[in-house]
Amino acid sequence: MLRLENITVGFGGLTALANVTLEVGARELVGLVGPNGAGKTTLFNVISGLARPKAGTASFNSVNLLRKPVQARARIGIARTFQIPQPLHELTVRQNLIVAQTFGAGHRNARRIDEILDFIGLKRKAEENAADGLALSEHKALEVGKALATEPKLILLDEVLAGLETAGKRQFMQTLKRMHQEAGLAIIIIEHDIETILALCQRAVVLDFGKVIADQTPEEIFRNPAVMRSYTGATPGA
Amino acid sequence: MFELGLQAIYSGVLTGGYYALVALGLALVFGTMRVINLAHGELVLLAAYVAYSAEVHLAISPIAAIPLSLVVVSLVAVLVYVLLSHITRDRELNSLILTYGLGIVLTNLMLLIWSADIRSTTATWFQEGAVLGDTLYSSRSEVIFFLVSLVLVAGLWFWLTRSWHGRAVRAVSSNRDAAMLMGVNPRTTEVLSFLVAGLLATFAGIALYTGKTIDPPLGHALTIKAFIITVLAGMGSIPGVLLGAMLIGITEALTISFVSTSLQDLAGMVLFLAVLLLRPQGLFGFGTRRG
Repeated sequence: MLRLENITVGFGGLTALANVTLEVGARELVGLVGPNGAGKTTLFNVISGLARPKAGTASFNSVNLLRKPVQARARIGIARTFQIPQPLHELTVRQNLIVAQTFGAGHRNARRIDEILDFIGLKRKAEENAADGLALSEHKALEVGKALATEPKLILLDEVLAGLETAGKRQFMQTLKRMHQEAGLAIIIIEHDIETILALCQRAVVLDFGKVIADQTPEEIFRNPAVMRSYTGATPGA
Repeated sequence: MFELGLQAIYSGVLTGGYYALVALGLALVFGTMRVINLAHGELVLLAAYVAYSAEVHLAISPIAAIPLSLVVVSLVAVLVYVLLSHITRDRELNSLILTYGLGIVLTNLMLLIWSADIRSTTATWFQEGAVLGDTLYSSRSEVIFFLVSLVLVAGLWFWLTRSWHGRAVRAVSSNRDAAMLMGVNPRTTEVLSFLVAGLLATFAGIALYTGKTIDPPLGHALTIKAFIITVLAGMGSIPGVLLGAMLIGITEALTISFVSTSLQDLAGMVLFLAVLLLRPQGLFGFGTRRG
């Protein structure tokens, strides 16, 4: 469904991504891991259109992505969340979702909005202003809700679990699992927590210094000494 | 003394309505695009000059000239937007230079077309007195465009907060990236903002033409007035524009009545500086805004 080939991104003299090739099929749940600065968020920016690669090709269901502006990619089914929640201020939680549905999915469906609110657990807060009155976990849930409201086929989750306490994290993971199973979405998730990746994903891709250094099952990944070296700066057991 | 004060406040409120008309377009574009259109006053003046030409050559009243002014001003507004959209870096700062330059170009174009002579409408009906309760005096133009201003403020507020296009405009202003990821095309909402700003400038221009005299340098002064009111209101606040404009109008009118006409502009500036010192986010602005 998503196919990236030899994607290279540079900022000035710095290479953020070097020849990244990655393919993600429909209904796949892929973990994207790697140390800080490895290029994970930049890769999301390339897929969603916020960053332009210097070289490489990207397609989504055989549509050339790189020619499409951000909003057009949202409309063909690519959604993403931000590590730092980006709600539309001045609008309520419900209105945030309706804007996403109206422009992202191209139609209006009030029942679907209620379902999403239910799904992300924000039904009680639906009429609250999105800028204030939400806890961090609720902001993260709203990010996911906005992405879902555009009716995506692929959803990019950028550290949606970071900063949540254990109970909130567990609940959120259940939501993600249900989202994947019930809605039949492909998901790429950036996550630092190894256990989360092990619990959620069938496949994990490791980025280090802008390069893919491993693409295996999570179990294999965390037994891979090269990965552990880049990840923790030490070899396992050393 | 009391009556003089009351009259001053009444005049100030009406003037405030006119100032609000002048400022709304600038506030809208700033609120939605973070761009300060320093050619906005020139757009207002252009609408006035088109009405003048329509009156002279087509013998139609300034009110009947509104559609014509609207077309001309909208076209120029879209042209300003097209030029702005070519700015790819530091749009907030570079747009200042671009729109300032466009203002100068427009002023000189108006000078070329309409000369430096001072013009005013021959439709004296607008300047005749309208008396409220036997004691409060104003011109018909002031009353009419005060009411127009109230309607447009309410309409604009309603559009921005209640309609889906308005919400999209606010979505882009609130968070451009997030709005795009939700499928909103920021260019559409931005062109829309400029067109609505053109509409507002047109009404301001007709108010100007029916109530006062016009000459080409006036555009620059209007831009400054609009900018001061926008900042006073708190960047992007629409109801704040009306109240800020009235505050400026009343301050100026009280100064004229009780101190001196020559201090009119100074009084407005002092008020502006006082607000900046005491409430830097403006009267109705939020503490911080994320872009």
